[in-house]
Amino acid sequence: MKQTLMGNDAIAWGLVHANVDMVSGYPGTPSSEILGVVQKIKKQLELPIYAEWGTNEKVGFEVAYAGAIAGKRTCATMKQVGLNVASDALMSASYIGNLGGMLLIAADDPGFHSSQTEQDSRVFAKFARIPVLDPATPQDAYDMVKQGVALSEKFQVPVMMRPVMRVCHAREIIEMDAETNFKPNEGKFVREVSRWAGVPRDGRLRQGHEVLDRIETIKQYNWEELLAPEFAKCKGGKLLILTSGTGYAFAKETLDDLGLKADIVKIKMPYPLPEAKIREEFEKYEQVLVIEEPYPCVEEQLAHPKLHGKNTGTMHLIDEMKKEHILKAFQSMGFYAGANIYEVPKLDLGFEVPARPPALCPGCPHRDIYYAIMKVFKKRKSIYPSDIGCYTLALSQGAIDSILCMGASVSMASGFSLADPDKTVVATIGDGTFFHSGIPPLLNAVYQGHKFILVILDNSTIAMTGRQPTPERFHQAIDIGKIVEGMGITCMEHTYSYEMQDNIDFMKTVKTQFESPEQKGPLVVRVKQFCILDNERKDDWVPGIFAEVDPELCVACDQCTTVYKCPPMAYNAEGKIEIDPFLCAGCGGCLDVICPTDAFIVDEKKTEVKS
Amino acid sequence: MRYQVVIAGFGGQGVVFLVKVLALCAGNRDIPFLGTENHGMSQRGGAVSCDIKVGDFSNPVIDNGQADLIIGLDANEALRNLHLLKQGASVISNAKEAFPALPFEVTLVDANAKALNNEFPIQGLNVFMLGITLAKVEGFPFSVEEVKQAITQMNAKVAQQNIEILDMAMEYAKSL
Ligand SMILES: Cc1ncc(C[n+]2csc(CCOP(=O)(O)OP(=O)(O)O)c2C)c(N)n1
Ligand code: SF4
Repeated sequence: MKQTLMGNDAIAWGLVHANVDMVSGYPGTPSSEILGVVQKIKKQLELPIYAEWGTNEKVGFEVAYAGAIAGKRTCATMKQVGLNVASDALMSASYIGNLGGMLLIAADDPGFHSSQTEQDSRVFAKFARIPVLDPATPQDAYDMVKQGVALSEKFQVPVMMRPVMRVCHAREIIEMDAETNFKPNEGKFVREVSRWAGVPRDGRLRQGHEVLDRIETIKQYNWEELLAPEFAKCKGGKLLILTSGTGYAFAKETLDDLGLKADIVKIKMPYPLPEAKIREEFEKYEQVLVIEEPYPCVEEQLAHPKLHGKNTGTMHLIDEMKKEHILKAFQSMGFYAGANIYEVPKLDLGFEVPARPPALCPGCPHRDIYYAIMKVFKKRKSIYPSDIGCYTLALSQGAIDSILCMGASVSMASGFSLADPDKTVVATIGDGTFFHSGIPPLLNAVYQGHKFILVILDNSTIAMTGRQPTPERFHQAIDIGKIVEGMGITCMEHTYSYEMQDNIDFMKTVKTQFESPEQKGPLVVRVKQFCILDNERKDDWVPGIFAEVDPELCVACDQCTTVYKCPPMAYNAEGKIEIDPFLCAGCGGCLDVICPTDAFIVDEKKTEVKS
Repeated sequence: MRYQVVIAGFGGQGVVFLVKVLALCAGNRDIPFLGTENHGMSQRGGAVSCDIKVGDFSNPVIDNGQADLIIGLDANEALRNLHLLKQGASVISNAKEAFPALPFEVTLVDANAKALNNEFPIQGLNVFMLGITLAKVEGFPFSVEEVKQAITQMNAKVAQQNIEILDMAMEYAKSL
């Protein structure tokens, strides 16, 4: 059956058509839609599938992995940096293996579109010594899900699939099974203590030998089943192009665009590679070029004098693949002597197109809370460590000093408070990130008596990745306040108000509490708020009060465009601020305090219409 | 056939809706289709652009100097993506003010003003701009009927309203 699908939809259908019984993971762009779509299919077709988010990637992985030990077919989904969090479990899972099948989907993001690093999960698979499949297109991804689950069962080890953003978020017409005849697998834990609970040294050493043997077997499989048929189609000649993942599609199109011909091999499983067999093929060519991203994973396994790639400076080392990089590689290898057809003359518009820097949504409460924090805890006397989530975008308000990785705001608040005790450390973290990895560092701070303020921005959702539910909102409400109190400290509570003065007044009480002599360790504050895109909750919160600007009062002081930073506000041709009526969310947040001359006034007409 | 389109705007304008409509058009005629989305971290109000490649392609990204058409739901976002166009390509954009002279076939409409004037709801901006495109761009790979069919497949409930907006835009385009 033909269907137009986004890569992540195709992956979700692949999981269902591969009879995967359990999907567990953690959201992260570009992987997030996979689990959500499985949930939708499950509901629509009433399938007996477990498809739920874990509290973080390690938890998500371990739930799925235990399922696979007990004979189920399972899958864990996450983004590449999520795999860092799950890596401890993965490294040992590779030694122990599984009876059922487990597919680990780690989605990479070459080009840093929405990730802190450009790390390559194929290299992680190599580090963990598990096989990895690398799809070039949504169709490949659909097919490889099935293949990966089957391989995991065959070789009794987790198998990774590594789609990049241009697969997850690409859309194409794919061919998939016409019918869904979901067959659940029986779950049955078989006790085998020496395997499931192997301990150092002897148990793990034995398993380590098994890993090495298994990798040799998989190399042979890779050659016989996947690579030999590809090389059989090759003719030999000047240039052999080896590709992994989307490298195939980029290479093929570049050759087409330039009217060139060369043998291209699609390496579906970039680790483990049967190096010797592949190198034998090099004899038929003058030169070999590897096209892969983001790291030289294939290239480093195959090192050979004829081989060109990133390590020889022939291909780009960082940032996303472009056909232009391949064209230039062809030029430097003497394979193409023509012009750079991807170079376009620079158009002179006579002005710079204004940038549209990442910003919080119009009406997002994060903006107002940061504004209040900055009003009360002055920049000169404070350090603002923050974390990963939508609120990271408050960077543009100047309200954030450091970002590392999920959960780090809390431990870094500890570190900053120790290193520079004269400043007040005000850390901010979202509820999603607090549950993910903010709790252990808070325990640490209580236990060590580190003195800082932690503001939990609780919008009851993981907003940045598409509004997945947080644990407080699901099955059974989990109360953040009680978690904090369980550590033996109090949690100050505030509910976001669209009247800015309320938020500022609350932050003043926080300051007073923090400066009082009885305050010893961390002071935790939880602000209850909402996400403006959260259709279930937003109507209870958004007052529907729309603003306009009184041009008489606006003195073009820049306060709103530099400190408050709400996207609908911009200067018009008359040099006065104007509010874009299509973007304004009716939150009323700017009516109070923000403007020194009170130029923001209620747009009575619009406000009336809406209410 | 090979045809490459960039649709540019910002989050909340319904860029992806148009991609889905064009994907359906291609699917209904059994022509290969590849698309991809570019957006940063912000949700509503952040820059979004989508690459669409209809025909015999293997990778979804549009390179510099390759696109046949830009549909701009926002003027600045259209201008930001001009480097993707090939010579003689078309630009259809929502814009308040005229663009500087460009070596492309440019059609500008102030769709925001029309929405403010209650001629159509602002949520229909995407479909309005597609209507202008259908009326103005020679060589656009899909017919009006094909687009209407795809709009109906997308969401039958709002199809009627969307088709009215499409017709209105095409009628209006005659005056441009
Ligand atoms: C280890 C890791 N996993 C996943 C992500 C993807 N990610 C980015 S922000 C975010 C969470 C945001 O949720 P929350 O803290 O509740 O903030 P909100 O966006 O709701 O403001 C996630 C999961 C990541 N960056 N790192
Ligand atoms: S998606 Fe929600 S939490 Fe994120 S910026 Fe927009 S309103 Fe704020």
